[in-house]
Order: sequence, then C-alpha cells, then structure tokens
Amino acid sequence: MEDYKYLFKIVLIGEAGVGKTCLVRRFTQGLFPPGQAATIGVDFMIKTVEIEGDKVKLQIWDTAGQEKFRSITQSYYRAAHGLILVYDVCSQRTFDALPQWLTDIDSFANEKVLSYLVGNKIDRGDAREIPTHVGEQFAERYEMKYIETSAKEADNVDKLFLDIASRLTEDARERNRLIPGEDSMNISSNTKSISSCSRCFKF
Amino acid sequence: MDLERVQNLTDVSEMQKALEKLNAEEIDVDCELNTLLETQASLEDKMITLHRTLPNLQMLHTDSKQLSSMVSFTSTLAENVSSKVRQLDLAKNRVTSCIQRVEDILDLKYCTDGVQQALQNEDYEKAAGHVHRFRSLDENVLRMSEIASEGSSLDTSFRLLHESEDKLRVIVNTKFDASVHSRDVASIERFFKIFPMLGLYEEGLTKFGKYLAAKLSEDADRNLKLALHGIDPEDGRSSVIFADTITKLFEDIAKIVEIHQPLVETYYGAGRLVILVKILQKECDRQTRKLVEEFRNKRDFDLRVQQVQQSLMFHKQPAIEKPDSKDLDVLLSEIVLLNTRTELYLRFLKRRITGDFELAYQDEEKRNEKSSEVDKFIQSCDTSRLMQELIGNYIMMEEYFMREMVLKAVAMDSLDTGSPTSSMVDDSFYIVKKCVRRAMSSSSVDGVCAMLNHACTILEQDFREVLYTRVRAGFPSGFDLTQAYNMVIQQGKSSDTEKAKAQFISTLNNAEVSCDYCKQLKTNLEDEVSKLYTQCSDQSNAKLESCLSDIGACATRFKDVVEFGFSQMTQSVIKPRIKPQIDIFLSTSHNISEDDYTNFEANDPWVQNFIVSLDNMLGSFKDSLTNNNYEMFVSLVTAEITTQLEKSVQKSAFNRLGGLQFDKELRVLVGYLTSVTTWTIRDKFARLTQMATILNLEKVDELLDYWGPNSGPLTWRLTPSEVRQILGLRIDFRTEEIKRLKL
Repeated sequence: MEDYKYLFKIVLIGEAGVGKTCLVRRFTQGLFPPGQAATIGVDFMIKTVEIEGDKVKLQIWDTAGQEKFRSITQSYYRAAHGLILVYDVCSQRTFDALPQWLTDIDSFANEKVLSYLVGNKIDRGDAREIPTHVGEQFAERYEMKYIETSAKEADNVDKLFLDIASRLTEDARERNRLIPGEDSMNISSNTKSISSCSRCFKF
Repeated sequence: MDLERVQNLTDVSEMQKALEKLNAEEIDVDCELNTLLETQASLEDKMITLHRTLPNLQMLHTDSKQLSSMVSFTSTLAENVSSKVRQLDLAKNRVTSCIQRVEDILDLKYCTDGVQQALQNEDYEKAAGHVHRFRSLDENVLRMSEIASEGSSLDTSFRLLHESEDKLRVIVNTKFDASVHSRDVASIERFFKIFPMLGLYEEGLTKFGKYLAAKLSEDADRNLKLALHGIDPEDGRSSVIFADTITKLFEDIAKIVEIHQPLVETYYGAGRLVILVKILQKECDRQTRKLVEEFRNKRDFDLRVQQVQQSLMFHKQPAIEKPDSKDLDVLLSEIVLLNTRTELYLRFLKRRITGDFELAYQDEEKRNEKSSEVDKFIQSCDTSRLMQELIGNYIMMEEYFMREMVLKAVAMDSLDTGSPTSSMVDDSFYIVKKCVRRAMSSSSVDGVCAMLNHACTILEQDFREVLYTRVRAGFPSGFDLTQAYNMVIQQGKSSDTEKAKAQFISTLNNAEVSCDYCKQLKTNLEDEVSKLYTQCSDQSNAKLESCLSDIGACATRFKDVVEFGFSQMTQSVIKPRIKPQIDIFLSTSHNISEDDYTNFEANDPWVQNFIVSLDNMLGSFKDSLTNNNYEMFVSLVTAEITTQLEKSVQKSAFNRLGGLQFDKELRVLVGYLTSVTTWTIRDKFARLTQMATILNLEKVDELLDYWGPNSGPLTWRLTPSEVRQILGLRIDFRTEEIKRLKL
C-alpha cells in the first residue's frame, strides 16, 4: 500500500494552446517550459500534497486540446473527481468555446464532479481580451469555482491545485463521517451512498 | 677543607677527623696523578703522527682546486654542444615542413595535371579524389610561399583546380540527373558516392533521396492502384487490403533505409542519415495521405463516423439509420491494423536515426538534444497525424460498437437451465474484452487507455444499472403453499412470479460473478499489456496501470449490487419464513414436567419441523445460487435465526427441564446448520449456546463454576447484566440469589 490517504483524479480540459500543460508542469515540476509542443493524447502526472495532516495523492491528467483527440480525452471525464476547464484570458476564441466544453462535461462527467474555471496567461497584461468580471460571471452562472492564473509567473497555480485538493479532501471526510462502521441491518438504506463513494478512496 | 679552618680547630677529635680527611684526599690526588702520568706516553705518540700528516693536507687542497676548475670547464663545453643540437633539431623540423610543403606543391601540381587528365578521361572518381586531396590542403599556407617559389605557376594551379572543382560539381550534378533520367542505377550510385568527396553532403543526399522517393512513389502508386482495382470480395485479405497496402509501403521504405544506411555511413559519415530519411518520410506522408483518403472513400468511413456520431447524439431515436455492427467490426479491425503497422514503422525509423546519431555524437547533451529532435520529427509527421485522426474516430466507433453489443447481449439475455447465471454476463464481458483487446492490438497507448476508460463506464454504469434495476424490483414474496395453490388455480400468474424469482436469482448471481470477471479481466488485460507494450516509456506504463486498476475497481460496484440484492431477499424471503417458525418456539412452553419432557422426546414440538422447513428453503435456493451467493444466503439466514431466537428466549419462561429441552433443541439446530455449510457456524451461535448453558444450571451458584477465573477456554459473549437477566428466566431461581451473585 502506498503512503497516502486519499487519491483524487484531476482532469484538465480546454481549447488547444491555453496553457494546460504549462499549468501542470508548473505545479508538478516547478517549471515553465517555453515553446511547449502540443500535447499528444493525454499526459499523466502525479503529485502528493498534504492537506491538514493527511497525505493526498493527486493524479493529474493533462489532455490534448486538439479536436482529433476529443474521443480519447472525453473517456477520462467520468472517473474525474475534479475538472479544470482552462481558457486563455488573451483569446476571445478560447472563451467563446467554453459552452461547448460545458456541454461535454454535462454529457460525460460525473454529476458530482468539482469543476473549476481557470483564466490563464494573466501575465500578458496588455493583451488581455476577457476582463476578470466576465470570467467570474460566467463561472457563477454555471456554478463553477473561478480563478485566474499565470503558469509563467507561477501566480495562483499552487493555489488552484491545493484548493481543489482540500475541497475534495473535505468532501471525502464528510462522506466518511456519514457512513458509520458496517451494520448488516442497514445495508439497504446505505447502499447508494457506499457505492457512490467507495470507488474514490483507497484506505 | 681550607687551612684557616684547620688552624682554628680546637678540639682534638675534630683535629683528628680533619687529619683523616686530609690523608684520604692525599691518597686520591696521588692516584689521579699516577693515571695522568700513564697516559702521557700515548699522547706524545699521537702528537708525533699528526705532525707527520701535515704536509699531505696541503697537497690535497691544491688537487681539489684543480678538479673544480676542470668540472666547470666541462659543463661549459656541454652547454655549447647541446645548444647546437637544439638548433639542428629546429632546422630539421623546418626542413621537414619545407619538404611537406614542397610535396604539397608537387601534389598540387599532380592534382592539377591529374584532374584535367581524369576529367578528359571521364574518370570522375579520380578527379573527385584529386579535388578531395586539394581541398584538404591549406591554400593560404601554400600561397605564403608563393614569392619564394615559382609564383605564377602556383597561382595557375590553384585557379585551375578551383575551376576543375566547379566543373566537376556541375558535371556530377548533371550526370547524376541524367542517370536518374535514364534509370541507370549503377551510375546513380556512382555519382552518389562522388558528392561527399566534393563536400556536397547535403546536396548529394537530397538528390539521392529525391531519386529514391520518386522510385518509391511509383511503386506505391502502382500498389495502391492494384489494391483499388484488384479488390476481390472473395479474397480473405480484401477486408484488410488497405492495411496490407500501407504495410507494403512501409516495408519498401524500410528496405531502402536498410540498404542505403551502410552506404550513407561509409561515404557521408555518421549523423547524416536523417537528411535522407526526412526526404523519404515526405514521400511516405504523401502516399499515406492518398491511401487514407482512398480508405475513407472505399470503406464509407466518413458516413459510418457520421452515423455513429448521430446515434450517439440522439440514441433515444431509433429512426436514425444505424451502422451495421458486423460491417463496423470489420472496419474497426482494419483501422487497428493500419495504426499498428504505422507505429511499428515509425519505431523502426526512430531506432535507425537515433542509432546513426549515437555513432556521430559522443556528447550526452548533444545526443539528448538530437533525440528529442527525432521525437518531434516523428510525432509531427503527417503520417502520425493522419493516424491520430483515425484512432480518434476509431475510439468513438469502438465505444459505440462495444455499447451496442453489450446492450444487444442484455436484450437477448436468456437463462439456461442448469446455469446459475444468465447469458448476458458471459456475453457482455466477452464483448468488453474483445473490444479492449482490439484496441490493444492498435499499439496506441492512448487508444488503449481510452478504451479501458470506456469499458469501465459501460460495466459500471450501463451494465451495472441493468443488474441494479432488476434487483431493485425485488424478490417476489409469498409462501410455498400458496404458490402451489396458485399454480393450480391460475397457471399464468404463478409462472410470472416464478419467472420474476428466477430472474432475481440469476441477476444476483450475475452480479456476484461480475465481481470475479472484473478482476479476471484486469489480470488478463494486464498480462497482455505487459506482453505487447514492452517498449513503453514509464509515463505510458503509469497511464496503462492506472486505467487497468480502474477496471479492477469495478468489482466493488458489483459487490454493492449483490449486497443490495441480499438485503432485498432478507426482507422478502428470510424474515417472513423464519418469523413464524420462531413464533412456534415462543408458543411452545419450556416450563415442563417430567412427563412432558419424555413426551417431547418422542413427539418433538418444534425443532424438527423447523429444520425440515429450513432445509426446504435452503434446498430450493442451493442449486440456483452460485456457491458464494449460497454461502452468503446461509449466513444471512443464520443471522436472522440467531437474532430472532435470542429475542424469543428472552420472552420465554424456563424450568430446569425446559432449559434442558432448549439446550437439546439448540444442539440439533446447530448440528443441522453445520452440516449445510462449509464454514463454521458455531461462532454465530455462541451467545445462544451460552444462554442454554445458563438455563441448564442446577442452581444459581453453579454459574460461578463457569464464570470469571473458572471460565477456562470459554469466552463469555454475554454481559453480567444479560447473564442475570437470563438467570431470571428460570422460574425456579430466586431473585435474591441472582442478585447476590457476584459477577
């Protein structure tokens, strides 16, 4: 058994070139690789963080934004605990594409998934096309958390992933409290809740 | 002792003492004097010898002086000689380089003459050899000596050679082109070898590459045409004709690389193979594009993709024309083959180029840089891209195919007599396995991972949902007797209930078997992955591992269904059947006389009937449930019996004989249940057995023989207050005595 209490899968999605790979690299390796090539298929990184004394392992799936990989990347949505939908604050096009991504989330992801909307590349101040409040409003309308980041300057990147990790940990602890130890007489009433969460954890 | 002190002496004894002392001193002095006189002779001898050696010393001094002057003279001489040798050496070196230069000049002359001669004779190898020699000379150095030597002639030589070099370049270029034109393979190779001698590495490889590419293009066009027109539907290979054709293309390129790699390495040096490969790859990209286009046309690929997309989008509407599963099956197999051939080919290219670079560069950093360049080249070539697009479509269609087939298996579900599970489990898992394995044979790691994810979704959601819904419908309750009665009265209705029962039981079995199947599927696929994907990067392996473990985790979801099903059964079968039997126990008195007791021995009031009824119930499920499920069923029945019986015991009243009767009944019951299970049941009855022990006591105090330090191997499952309560059930035990008991 590995040394962690919770395991969460986080999937990054969004148009090609919005900086998904850079966000992941920044968080997992502390690097900003300039001239990052387009991701082929899906990349996979692991980072273990500590949330209030518990080791939490984050499995981060960095998906390709290009259309031709859609059928591969979509297969990862359902098992995700956290979804990060990224757009480029300097590109109206990537912002306009968000509704389509939300439709995909609706049709493929688990309905209880924790989703974040991320506006990346805030370091390119003058080139910004989407003001913060527009992104915020959009996120609010679709009941997502909103955060703006810069993978280049490492702004808010750790915060984004740690926020997700602590929210997911909190939810997991909450569910653990709701389900007491085994009680054979109670199986019928608890079945649903056991089944909906038991797959997420590794004790 | 001085004189003054002696003169001052007054006492006789003191005077005498002084005298004695003086005498002793005198003797000492005498002795000393004697020894000194004895040595006098030898000292005198030594003095004489010294006097004799004195003149010799003076001679030694003059000799030494002479020697010293001689040594310094020699040293000066040696110094002089060696400096001359050094000068000589320098002169010799200069002579050598001079000779070298003269030789170079002679060579130059020879080259100048030779080049012209060779050009005249059309001996281009020789001419190129001369030019190569000339190119290796340092022109500037030679020109420095121009003034000293016959100046103008050297200049002409250089001019002539430069001219010849240019001329040769033009000739080789045109001759090469002409040879290509006339398809003279020998001449092509001849001139291909001359390029590097003229320093035209890039040019030579490019020209040669273009020539090879053109040849490749002809062959590939012919093969494609053959494939398109020669499709014989009866031929076994017709369903994979495009995969076969692309394989031919890749094999041709591989052959070219194989044949020409040694040639390139010998004449052009290591590290230059990539120039040739890039040109060939360009042609390969062009051919692949053509082939994929034809593939899409002939196989109605785009139409099928569209159909699948539409069915996925509006899968509630049956009106939309669905692609035929059989056709889809064939098509999917061909796509997988196309991709796996491509992966194989690209891996070959990568290995060859990397190997070539490794020969050329020793520096680790440079190698890594080159290696990532190769990766980039291979990942971004059109052939890769085309395949990525195909695989993208493939995944969508394969998922659709898998879901359709699983749904079909569910729809065509049938229950064979004699089998505890119905056909949909085996069929569905077979389909899932088939689809994932097909994805595996594509060699695309991302494709496999995606299909593993989809397989999880189908098993966990679609397939499990079917089982869950069936289990939620519940097990039809009702007694055997009424059923038998119904069977006579209403044939139809009863068989409906029977059907519902059979379906519930088979679903329960299906879910239980699915747990195992998930784990088996995971192990099987794992084995296959480890065989097929041996050359994967760590990252790819981690991806595969993660997706595979999700398949294994599906088992838990099916276990939940089993548990839910059994909770349904507890409510509708176990409880209603156990309850009346336990009620009979409750209504049977355990406050009995001697006569009653003997009577019960002959005519059992409860337990025998209970066992018959239990045996009936267990027997009716034993054959229809899987082994694991049957064990689970027995364990639930046992749990129900113990809870109910405990409650009833606490509501009954006992006397000594009643306690004995209960103890007997319990033994028979435990004996029976032990005989129908493979695991130990006694533990479940521990509390009841202990109750029977208490109820069977002669008097209250006797309990202490079993309690506390006297309990021996027995572990009490009853609390002290429970023990008191049970003792209280014995009507012949006095309450004060029970209270007095120290527990």
